[in-house]
Amino acid sequence: MPVPVAAVGAAVNLIGGLFGSGKARRAARRQRRLAKSLQKKLDHLERNRQSIINPYDNVTSLASMATDLSNTLSNPFANLSVATKAAEMKIEEADISLANTLDTLRATGAGAGGATALAQAALKAKQGVTASIEQQEKANEDRRAQGEAQLQQQVMSEKQRIQNISISEGAREQSAMAQGRAFEFNAREQREMQKLNRVAGQLDQATNNAAQASRDATSAITGAIGGMASSLSAGKSAGNLSDLF
Amino acid sequence: MMNKIENINKNLILRQMLYSDAMAYNKKFLAKPTDSNFNILKAFEGTEKVYAELELKVKSGECDTENCEFELASLAALQSAPKIFVEFMENLGGELSVTEEPNFDVVNNADYTIAQSMLTEKPGFSRSDGYEISLELLEDSSQEITFTGPGFYEPLIINSSTLKVLLNSGTFLIASTPDINKDMTRLLTEVGLFSPDMVNPETGELLETAKILDEFVLKNPDGTPIYEIVEIGNGKGRNILRYDLDKIERKTDPFINAEVAGLLDREQEAVASWNVYLAELTSVEEDDQMTQNATAYESAWQYEKVLPLSQSKKILFMDHYKKYFMKNYLVQFTTNQLPDVQEDAAVFDVAEKRKENAKKYMEQNKLS
Repeated sequence: MPVPVAAVGAAVNLIGGLFGSGKARRAARRQRRLAKSLQKKLDHLERNRQSIINPYDNVTSLASMATDLSNTLSNPFANLSVATKAAEMKIEEADISLANTLDTLRATGAGAGGATALAQAALKAKQGVTASIEQQEKANEDRRAQGEAQLQQQVMSEKQRIQNISISEGAREQSAMAQGRAFEFNAREQREMQKLNRVAGQLDQATNNAAQASRDATSAITGAIGGMASSLSAGKSAGNLSDLF
Repeated sequence: MMNKIENINKNLILRQMLYSDAMAYNKKFLAKPTDSNFNILKAFEGTEKVYAELELKVKSGECDTENCEFELASLAALQSAPKIFVEFMENLGGELSVTEEPNFDVVNNADYTIAQSMLTEKPGFSRSDGYEISLELLEDSSQEITFTGPGFYEPLIINSSTLKVLLNSGTFLIASTPDINKDMTRLLTEVGLFSPDMVNPETGELLETAKILDEFVLKNPDGTPIYEIVEIGNGKGRNILRYDLDKIERKTDPFINAEVAGLLDREQEAVASWNVYLAELTSVEEDDQMTQNATAYESAWQYEKVLPLSQSKKILFMDHYKKYFMKNYLVQFTTNQLPDVQEDAAVFDVAEKRKENAKKYMEQNKLS
């Protein structure tokens, strides 16, 4: 039995429309698959990129390297000795001179007055020696005091130097820590934003593609049904519809 | 299993035939009638009667089976048949349409190309040429379509429910080939070699004036660029920039690796890319002819054999992808690039330039 023209047209419209919508549905499926693999690409990129480092995380205080040298300082005048040798020699000289004079007095037969004068001379000589020693001791004491004052000054300076180094290194360490944290924060923030932008872009694209594919599919199937309906209505008068089915 | 080379050749011939106007000049073809009405809907003939009989049995309680189990199941199957048919044709049409894509991989089974040619009424694939399509409504509610004809290796049979399951799982019956040209053009803007202002914001592609960033140019210790002298004839020459290719590779590698990781996640498409673009490391121009006569042939991967892709194949794929990218896309930016400094970009006398360079070298190294 010959197939009515309208019925054939309807069948062709239907199949053609189905193929058109099938193509659009396939495009939508492919878009979904693509979005999945894009996510994989993104994950791979993030997994394999360099990790965010704190460029300052190895900064440490160098204060410990500064050595307090104040304990090596000393007063160079602390143990000055008195030059007693010369005094002893003077006393010896005075004694020898006194003995010689006494011998002369004995030989010349001088009286008691000469002896008294001699004793006074000896006394005077020894007094001079004692005065010299006292003078030396006084000078030494003065210099020791002066040395002690200088030592205190130097110890103070060294302690101040060490304190300054500690404060300066501590400040540098704190500053580096702050800069490091700021760097990490900014880098992370930037990455998060980039990631969000990318994912948002992908989502937008995927949504648009899916929506478009859906519209294409609907349009194709609507067109097919419309075409089939018009063909069939035209064919009602042209032949037996059961030939189609 | 079908022969790979035979299948490739069959697909190539089919495509040549389909895209050629040769049939218009075939007198024999023109002389004979063409019947392209495969009448797929014939499967539904008589189903309205069966449906009516079954419904009468159920309503009158005169069923052949207890509680009308068979009758009710048959009614349900008949009710769902049109919907299943529509979905089946959509799925099948969507898949077969891939064979008409411009960069279709001819390693895909040529039977699908023939089936598409039949359904879209291409000359030479009609009933008059010995081709037939039959649709059968099966008892399990699924439907089976069978394509036969002289071009097929064996009847091509596809079941609706199996096809649906396959597609729902994210797999395709026929592999589409990704647009590698488009992907790599985009990848160029992502690999970190160009500044953002060198990208056309509308197209997302590099501007024609785009140049690789200065940090990748090889330089002397004093910061001046190292040039290569290229002779342009008549004793004249020009300076061209030299690039630190190792540094470029280090910079681009992570991005290419990520791109490939994404592509390998779609294994079928990765195989299609391999067959159409990457296997032979051909040029873009050669790839334009790929579907004509320059397909991979021996080095092509047969889907049935290579999926799932082994690690060694993935590594090979990665290697070829990188080489293809370098050879066809990056190379134009690393070769024959004129200096940015105007006087360095001028044409010069090669002999004089060489003398000048030699003198400069001797002075720098205190040679006399």
